[in-house]
Amino acid sequence: MKRKLIAILLASAMVTAMIGCGATADAPAAAPAAATEEAPAAEEEPAEAPTADASGVELNVTTTFAGEDGNAQNFKNAVDAWCAETGNTVADTSATSDETFKTRVITDFETGSEPDVLFFFNGADANSFIEAGKVVSIDDIRAEYPEYASNMNDDLIADSLVDGKKYAVPVNGYWEAMFVNKAVLDAAGVAVPGANYSMDDFKADCQKIVDAGYTPIAAALGNIPHYWWEYAIFNNESPANHLEIPGSADDEIGQAWVAGMNDIKELYELGYFPENTLSATDDETFAMFTEGKAAFLIDGSWKVGGIVAACQSDPEDASTLDTAKLDNFDVTYVPGQGSRKATDLIGGLSMGYYITTKAWDDPAKRDAAVSFVSYMTSDTIVPQFAQHTASALKNAPAVDESAFNPLQIKAMSMMSGVTSLTGAVQDLFMGDCRVPTFDGMPEIVTGKVDAKDAVQEGIDAYQAQ
Amino acid sequence: MGANIYKNKKPVIVFLFPAFLFMMVYLYYPFVKNIWNSFREIKQLGGQGTGFVDPWYGNYAKMFQDANIGTSLINTLIMMLATLVFQVGFAIVLALMVDNIKRGSRFFRTVFFFPIVISATALGLLFNLIFLYDKGMLNQILEILGKRELTDWKAEGIALFTMMLPVIWQYVGFYFVILITGLNNIPEDLYEAATIDGATGFQKVRYISLPLLYNVICTCAVLAVTGALKVFDLPWTMFPKGMPLKSTFLTGTYMYYQTMEAKNVDYGSAIAVLIVVLGVILSKVVNAIFKEKDY
Repeated sequence: MKRKLIAILLASAMVTAMIGCGATADAPAAAPAAATEEAPAAEEEPAEAPTADASGVELNVTTTFAGEDGNAQNFKNAVDAWCAETGNTVADTSATSDETFKTRVITDFETGSEPDVLFFFNGADANSFIEAGKVVSIDDIRAEYPEYASNMNDDLIADSLVDGKKYAVPVNGYWEAMFVNKAVLDAAGVAVPGANYSMDDFKADCQKIVDAGYTPIAAALGNIPHYWWEYAIFNNESPANHLEIPGSADDEIGQAWVAGMNDIKELYELGYFPENTLSATDDETFAMFTEGKAAFLIDGSWKVGGIVAACQSDPEDASTLDTAKLDNFDVTYVPGQGSRKATDLIGGLSMGYYITTKAWDDPAKRDAAVSFVSYMTSDTIVPQFAQHTASALKNAPAVDESAFNPLQIKAMSMMSGVTSLTGAVQDLFMGDCRVPTFDGMPEIVTGKVDAKDAVQEGIDAYQAQ
Repeated sequence: MGANIYKNKKPVIVFLFPAFLFMMVYLYYPFVKNIWNSFREIKQLGGQGTGFVDPWYGNYAKMFQDANIGTSLINTLIMMLATLVFQVGFAIVLALMVDNIKRGSRFFRTVFFFPIVISATALGLLFNLIFLYDKGMLNQILEILGKRELTDWKAEGIALFTMMLPVIWQYVGFYFVILITGLNNIPEDLYEAATIDGATGFQKVRYISLPLLYNVICTCAVLAVTGALKVFDLPWTMFPKGMPLKSTFLTGTYMYYQTMEAKNVDYGSAIAVLIVVLGVILSKVVNAIFKEKDY
């Protein structure tokens, strides 16, 4: 009898708990319902006040402004300012831009757990979620909010490779150039390369650097060969045809790709890369560069922040910057060859803010998402992010050099001499087609795999996509 | 009436059902789905794929031509042997030594077990610093001892050794604790009798400790072999993408590489099936070899 009584009591407790849970689950549903009622009003006068009438909304946002990215702190500050201004909150899931980040974002879209707003690549990486209709085009947003991204020069906003529409509102551009450690160059008796720097000059300088006991090129070919991959191919093409994907390893573009891979192999065989380039990580070779053991580093504009941080006793505190150490670094053009001048660089506006269909279709979030992107791409915020890179603003304000550190100023000076900026072909050559020449770079440079076979394997994978 | 409630099995089913449901949803369904995925053409994680691989068994046929599969299988087998010989071997030696000391055995238990509680990823980062080419701990010590050239501990010929060392080191304590518990269960009378009969310390180990520890050693061997199949996080942290020259791939790291890095989700699924099949076969073989004895 006692057992029955206990069983009845336990069952009652369970039923009560379940009812309780049910009641808890019902509660949040009331909030969206209220917001749904407000939504039509917002749609009637959308362009008037997209910044203020969605107060109390939590937006899920993913960007690449995290980790060592030079704009990580700018992004945090901008988010805080927007939250304070609107009363909304942001659940920030930003992460360092790498293949894992891309996979995570694309998987989130596939599984229906995409963020409301994302700052992501506008090349082939975005194809899958654009094809699935999971992001909203700028034109569709402008139909409701005519002022959306109206401060941007539309000609500079990249078209989607899927349907030719524009989806991503750009903030800051990027460039890829060659950083130099002047202390190493001085020790080897080599001058800082200039605008007419050729590949032959580069090889001669590399030999002098080796003779002086230093490593010429800081690069981890077994980890991040991307920058050398891009420029080695570019050096066998021209700005006019660099973005063409070869049909086979034997056609004109294909041969340029094979020649590019063999150029890297030649530099490897000459001993210009670090001794452990096949087993080192990018962080290790970057440390070699900042610690004065390697002379040249080809990398992106985002690396300016990394070099500056390496010159601070506290990487998080700009006031601890050792300016004498930072003066050792400069940024210049990548050695040219054939039809590509040294001043023809890789760069452009490869990323931008997307608003997802999920957020757009949610009346509670639509205004907040538009407000957030409008704020982040405003004339005030964009220059803070763009700094020494390009932006798509119609009326870019004059740059105040006093706000920048010496390396950023050198970068601006270098950019003023650029003759052309071409996008990266690797952004169009995505997924498994890059594996034979990216991850396979160690096999190519060591001669275990023929460059032509690796290029052809990649092309076959591209054509199968 | 009271005893009848134990004959009624219905409540047992009710209580087992949640666990069964959990296993179905989070283990068996993904497993079956993974087999299905291995026949589909899938490039994006989470996607349903664009159709079937042509031919439908293409991913399995590809394994026979993929040199990296061969490398990862050989490396996994080497890892198994290394864990068996060194992890369990060192653990036996340490357990026997600690069992023979009168004071401080608790201290040694804690010290040897400690690496287990540290996450493998953290250990990977730690050993990355130890084996770092420039300014790594090991190279600095060698430099102090007079070596002039830096050693690349992650170079092709030596990478596998560098990878296995921390993996082995981490789990020695785990088997040590199991074995020392086994040693503690051996009655003290046997040792006393052996001492009276004039047995030496070595003879006591050879004729008392090891024979009575046999079943425990068998359990450790099975755990070591099946555990070696699942090693992933530490090797991936130290040698991402099978660096250098794809020479350090294990079956687990190669599956992850194909799925997450090379975007061959379908092929990654096929490798996962291979790992499961391999695991089942090896477990059977190891169970047959290290069959426990009844005393």
